[in-house]
Amino acid sequence: MDGLSPIDGWALLAILAKAAGYAAALVAMGGPLFVAVFRSAPGDVLRVARQLAVGAAILGLAVLALRFGIRSARISGMGFEGAVDPMMLGLVWDSPLGTAALWRGAGELLILAVLIEGTIGLTASLLGALLVAVSYTLVGHSLGDPRWLLAVLVGVHLLAGAFWIGALAPLHRAAGLTGGTVLLHRFGIIASGTVAVLILAGLTFAWLMIGSFGGLFGTAYGWTLIAKIIVVTGLLGLAANNKLRLVPALASGDPTASTNLRRSIRMEIIAVALILLATATLTSITTPPVNL
Amino acid sequence: MKQIILALAAILATAAAALAHSKAEDTTPAKEATVETVEVIELRFDDPMRVTAISLTGPDGEMEITRETGLDPVTEFRAMPPEDMPGGAYTVDWRGLSSDGHPMQGSFDFTVAD
Ligand SMILES: [Cu+2]
Repeated sequence: MDGLSPIDGWALLAILAKAAGYAAALVAMGGPLFVAVFRSAPGDVLRVARQLAVGAAILGLAVLALRFGIRSARISGMGFEGAVDPMMLGLVWDSPLGTAALWRGAGELLILAVLIEGTIGLTASLLGALLVAVSYTLVGHSLGDPRWLLAVLVGVHLLAGAFWIGALAPLHRAAGLTGGTVLLHRFGIIASGTVAVLILAGLTFAWLMIGSFGGLFGTAYGWTLIAKIIVVTGLLGLAANNKLRLVPALASGDPTASTNLRRSIRMEIIAVALILLATATLTSITTPPVNL
Repeated sequence: MKQIILALAAILATAAAALAHSKAEDTTPAKEATVETVEVIELRFDDPMRVTAISLTGPDGEMEITRETGLDPVTEFRAMPPEDMPGGAYTVDWRGLSSDGHPMQGSFDFTVAD
């Protein structure tokens, strides 16, 4: 197939680590966004959002360090010896990943401030979320042409995705609380706007990478993107069902609604994991058709 | 929609050369070529590539090659093959960092005629 790199153990490890890095970054960014938008949410729910963001930010920092080793191993062709080779690590540091790591690392550290209740802590953590989003515009295919449009699309796509993904665990908690319905209902309204932005930015970026229908169906990048879109469609179906059926059922006092909604949110989390794996594959071992 | 995106693209495209997912355009010796002698091993890229590792495998196993290009990103990479190359099949394997930061690798084969 066109545009597929050789896949070895290190490439697979790179995909897994990158997907874990995406998950950590999105959940870490999503925490401050959730707290900012839903400041009046039940204390229990806000605590879940804060603690999860901090855990994710710390995991993100660890994954970032791990990814340097994996990339060194890949470019050296020397396996584990290459992963700890100072010269190879230096070359990775000099590459766009080094610049991105500075922004992402600083952002993930700032996100820790979400634990400090009040405006200062929240502002610092929101700034952190922005830095993490910017870090992803400094590396990979958003560096192609047209540079600024691609960077803006990636940044917006990530912030909108983080708002959704970071909210899943807090909403799962809210679905089990008696006073959680108001929050779930409000989330549904806001998310229908942010999800539209998320999808529009993603599709525009994809179209700029692919350039033609031939590129979609004839290349590894195109097929991986199709797989991603299929899972995204399933995720949208779950989300629509939650908003239109399960949340209203919960509000009307249906006794099974809470269990159903919580199970549906857990399925959303699984779908997100698959989407992040597909995205990591897309950005690790396939070449965008416009670059072929 | 398409026109709007194209217009945005045109407005937002910067004058500075963008970093891209560089790739190998062609090589010396050419891919799958049969040659009498090998003076030099060359890789040409469409965007600067930092070649981090390169090896030559001949009929008797891996052979020593001398890099002429250092570790800087280049669009043209050169290395000198060994003096003595017996007839047979050869493979060049290389790895590098694309200018967008992506690790890249590739290989090509050629044959030295007896
Ligand atoms: Cu690339």
